[in-house]
Amino acid sequence: MAITLERITPLRGLRCRACQVLQPADTRYICAECYGPVEPEYDLAASDANALREKIARGPHSLWRYADLLPVAEPASHFPVGWTPLVRAPRLGAAIGIANLFVKDDSRNPSLSFKDRPVAVALARALELGLDTIACASTGNLAGAVAAAAARNGLRAFVFVPATTDEGKIAGAAAYGATVVRVLGTYDQVNRLCARLADEEGWGFVNFTLRPYYAEGSKTILFECAEQLDWRLPDHVVVPVGSGALLTRTATAAAQLRQTGLVDDTPFRIHAAQPAGCAPVSDAVLDGYREVRPVRDPNTVARSLAIGAPADGDGSVGIIRASGGSAASVSDAEVQGACALLASTEGVLAEPAGGVVVAAAKALATRDVFDDNGSVVLYITGNGYKGTLDAGLLKPPIAADADEFRAAYAEVLG
Amino acid sequence: MSVTVRLATPLRAAAQGSASLSFEATDLGSLAREITARYPELAARVLRDGEFGRFVNVFIDGEDARFLDDGDLRGKRTVEILPAMSGG
Repeated sequence: MAITLERITPLRGLRCRACQVLQPADTRYICAECYGPVEPEYDLAASDANALREKIARGPHSLWRYADLLPVAEPASHFPVGWTPLVRAPRLGAAIGIANLFVKDDSRNPSLSFKDRPVAVALARALELGLDTIACASTGNLAGAVAAAAARNGLRAFVFVPATTDEGKIAGAAAYGATVVRVLGTYDQVNRLCARLADEEGWGFVNFTLRPYYAEGSKTILFECAEQLDWRLPDHVVVPVGSGALLTRTATAAAQLRQTGLVDDTPFRIHAAQPAGCAPVSDAVLDGYREVRPVRDPNTVARSLAIGAPADGDGSVGIIRASGGSAASVSDAEVQGACALLASTEGVLAEPAGGVVVAAAKALATRDVFDDNGSVVLYITGNGYKGTLDAGLLKPPIAADADEFRAAYAEVLG
Repeated sequence: MSVTVRLATPLRAAAQGSASLSFEATDLGSLAREITARYPELAARVLRDGEFGRFVNVFIDGEDARFLDDGDLRGKRTVEILPAMSGG
């Protein structure tokens, strides 16, 4: 049954990215004509940039300040998501060779990852449709975001994750009251199971049946960066790539910021960061922007990025090429070193995906990708406290004795 | 060699509402030809130039067909066609 709801946002409908047919914003989640991906399209022509900037400035300190560029209205019942800090990172920049470096610290969301953004928008749509259950396939962070949103709004939640997912992450999802289903196999096998269940259970599967709405939430991270840079796009952004949805929606966000006149049409290069153990997009970019070849058995410490068959993979490669961007893939050792460097230089404790971004930025800097001395923004998308932290830096305990302290820590004291 | 093709809900409209269809096929190429002959409306949506397109994922007995070199269907029972979506 197709239902079309009245909206306050200027939503024109859902347009297929493949065949370009504009369709009603009903319960469809893929194109009825060709099964391609559908995305919300807005009537932005009437926008007055100054009036819109003022309206945004008066808006809530959350992603809903950009309601005019989102497909659903803010639900009254949800907690604030987004409006996270964009901070200068001079010490990290000096360490990795980038003069004008910023960190977008999206680890500071309610469930400690950027996934709270797409889930906020998917949740709003689920409430609009009167659904009582939300669900997802996840590599870990999305599970927590869905579980928290369900708890906050009195909904039931099912989250499906690979059995190898960090226990710390999914124990959090269980604490929120979600039913956590651990599945033997890779993320892509979990994904196949969920594609089937999404089809048969009638739940709001955020990354399947609610996907056109869900993905829109990821735009808001760039909206915020632009506003925090006084309505200017950064020259470069380094994006961690799992499914590729964050990267493709970063490009959508840039296009909408330009279309509305909120920012000028300045060069904006999008770069992909992936771990070497699962780098189908980075490999495709570095191999001449070829088609993505899926990775059967991802193997990386950055488990939140371990998606071997990324649905937005080819789309990401095309966007990177069109923007003049590049990509890097980095080893697990580089990832762990980069996480420690980010924490010790800037006070931002990231999960391994953040280390992937920092290490990839360093690799890109080494290749003179940032030689325009422009601004470089690193998306830090998940908090280090969610996973299992490396305790190897800790020294043995000491007695409550000043001499013993000085002896044990002589090296630090100098 | 008979193989059952399971269709995701959004794909069923192009196959007269059927959730699963039965075909005689020995590999994905012959399955694509059979679909074209019997369900042209479905073929127009899931096939591009005679091959399964990039917006659907095909699984043979649970295994992603992209990881199987030859698309051999001999001895296989089920082919699942799902919209290509993954991750967050």
